[in-house]
Amino acid sequence: MAVVLDGVAYGLQLALLAVGLTMIYGLGGVLNLAHGQFAVVTAIAAALLMDSGLPTLPAVIVGVLTGAVLALILDASIMRPVYRLQGENRVLLSLLITLGVAFVIDGLLIYNYPFTALNLNVAGPAINLLGVPMRRGSLAASLLALVALGVLIVFLRYTRRGKAVRSIIEDEEGAQLCGINPSRIRTAVFALSGGLAGVAAVAEGMTSSLSATDGLNLTILALIVTVVGGLGSVAGALLAGLLLGIVYSLATFYIGAYVTFIILLVTAMATILVRPSGLMGRGA
Amino acid sequence: MASTEVPLGAQQDADSAVVATQAPRWRAYLPVVATAVALAAIPLIIGDSRYYTDLATLALVFAAYAVGFNIIFGNTNQLFLCLGAFAGVGAYGTGALGNELGVPMPLGVLISVCVVAGFGAAFSWVSVRRRLDVIFVGIVTLTFSLVFINLLLGQRDVTGGETGMVLLYDPGPVGERGLVSYYIFLTVLIVFLTVYRWVQRSHIGWAFRALRDDEVAAELSGIDVARYKMIAGAMGSAMVALVGALYGHYEGFFSPTTFELGQVDVPVLVMLAFGGIGSLLGPVVGATVFTIVDAVLRPLAQLRTAVYGVILLVLFLGFRHGVVPSINDLARWVARRRSPGS
Repeated sequence: MAVVLDGVAYGLQLALLAVGLTMIYGLGGVLNLAHGQFAVVTAIAAALLMDSGLPTLPAVIVGVLTGAVLALILDASIMRPVYRLQGENRVLLSLLITLGVAFVIDGLLIYNYPFTALNLNVAGPAINLLGVPMRRGSLAASLLALVALGVLIVFLRYTRRGKAVRSIIEDEEGAQLCGINPSRIRTAVFALSGGLAGVAAVAEGMTSSLSATDGLNLTILALIVTVVGGLGSVAGALLAGLLLGIVYSLATFYIGAYVTFIILLVTAMATILVRPSGLMGRGA
Repeated sequence: MASTEVPLGAQQDADSAVVATQAPRWRAYLPVVATAVALAAIPLIIGDSRYYTDLATLALVFAAYAVGFNIIFGNTNQLFLCLGAFAGVGAYGTGALGNELGVPMPLGVLISVCVVAGFGAAFSWVSVRRRLDVIFVGIVTLTFSLVFINLLLGQRDVTGGETGMVLLYDPGPVGERGLVSYYIFLTVLIVFLTVYRWVQRSHIGWAFRALRDDEVAAELSGIDVARYKMIAGAMGSAMVALVGALYGHYEGFFSPTTFELGQVDVPVLVMLAFGGIGSLLGPVVGATVFTIVDAVLRPLAQLRTAVYGVILLVLFLGFRHGVVPSINDLARWVARRRSPGS
C-alpha cells in the first residue's frame, strides 16, 4: 500500500511533467525536446535566487515565470519557421530545432552552474495518510501537482480560452473558421507548457533535487508518459502518468532500479507498436 | 496537406543528373575515387603526428557512420535514433563472443553485424506494417537505444558496466592505432561510398528515390515499399554496426559512453545535415568539418554542447539543404553562366 501511494505521488509529478509536452504536440504538431530543459531553467533560476537571499516562495514563482517566458521567447523567435511547415515535416523540424535549443541550454547551464541544484526541503515528521506514513516532501509535491493539474483542467473545460485550446487540438482549421487565432493560442500554450514544466521542477525539488544535468532525463520521462498516454491527449497524459508512476514504484520496490527504467522504456515502445495513438488517443 | 512541399530528408539530389542518366559508369564513381586519393594523401600531409592521425581516423569513423545513416534517413526517410546502440551491439557483441566463448574476431564481427542488420530490417518492417510516422520511428528507436545503454550498465558481469569491457583477445591490426588503422578505416569508408553509389544507380536507388518523394505514389506504381525500406534499414544498420565493432577494437576497450546517443547519433545527424542529407559526399565533408571543429572547441569543455546546439539551429534554420548540395548548385550556376546560349 505504501508503495502504491508513493507511486501515485510520483505519478502525479510525471503527469505534470508530461501535460505541457502533450499539449504543445496536440496544438502545434510540435515535439519539444527541450521540455526538460525548461524545468531545469526554472530549477536553476529558483535555486540562484534563493542563494542570493530571496525567500522560497517568491524565488520559486520567479523561477516558474522564467520557464514560461523562455518558452514564450522561443515560440516567438526560432519556432516561427517550424510553423510554416505542415504535418510530418513540421514535427521533424521542430524535433531537430528543439534538440538544438536543448543543447544550448544544457551547455550553458552545466558550464556556468555545475553545482547549483534546486533543493526545497519540506521539513517535519512524516504524516499518516490512510494509515501509511508519507514523507512531507512527497505529500507537498503531490498537492502542488494536484492543484496545478486541477487548475489546468478547469481552465481547459470551463474558460473560453481553454475551450479554444481544445477546439484547436480537435481541428485547427475548424477552429480558425470559428474565429479563433491558432497562432496566438499556440504561443500562449507554449508559454503555459514552459510554466508547467517549471511547476514540475518545483515538485521534483520538494521530493529530491534537480540540477543542470537532469534536463535530458526529464525530457525522456515526459516523452515516455506522453507516448503511452497518447500524443496530444491531456487526459491520457494524466492517466499514463499515474499508471507509470505506480508501475515505477512497484518495480523499484520489488525488482530494482535499473530494470525499472527498462520496463518503462519497453512499455513506451510496446504502446507505440500495439496502439500508436496511445491510451487515450483518437485514432492513429 | 500541401503535396508541393519537399520533405526534409528529400532534397533534390545535387548529383542526380549523374545518377539518373546512363552516364558512363566510371564518371559516376569519379567522386569516390577522388575522395579516396585525397584521403589517402592525408597522412603524408600531417606527418607522423599521433594526435592528428587519431583525429583523422576519428573523422573517417564518423564519415562511415554517416554513410550508413544516410542510406537509412537520407534515402528512405526513416529516422533511426539508435545508431549508437547499433554500433554498440556490433562492438559489445563481438567482444562478448570473443571473451566468453572464444569466437575469433572476424567471425564475431560478422555475427554481430548480421544481428544488427536483422534489428534494422525488423524496425523498418514494423514501421511500415504499423504505418508509423517518422516521429514514431524516431521514438521507438530512441527507446531501443536507451534500453541498450541501460542493459550495458546493468549487465556488469558481461559488459563491465560503466568501467567498460576489457578485451581478453588480440584485436588484430585495427587495434594498432596509427597509420594501419587509418588505412583500414579509409578502406571501409571507400567501400561504403562505392556501395552507396552502386545502390543509387541500381533499381534499388530508383525505388529509394521514388518512395522518398512520395510513398503512396511509389506503392501505387508497384514498388514494394516495405521491402525497399527493409533493404535500406538492414544495409545502413549493418554498416553502422561494422564501423562500431572496428572502432571499439581500435580503442582497445568498450565503454557505454562511446556508444551513447549524444556521442554517436547526434554528431552523425549534425554532420549529415551539414554535409547534405542524401548526397554522396555529404557524410565525408560533414565528418571532416565536424571533427576539426570539435578538436578546436575542446578547450571549451561543457560549453561545446551549447556551440553544437547553435550549429544545429543555424543548420536547420538556414541551410536545410546542406553544404555539398549548395556548392553543387553554385558550380552548376557558374557552369550555366559560362556556357553560351543557355
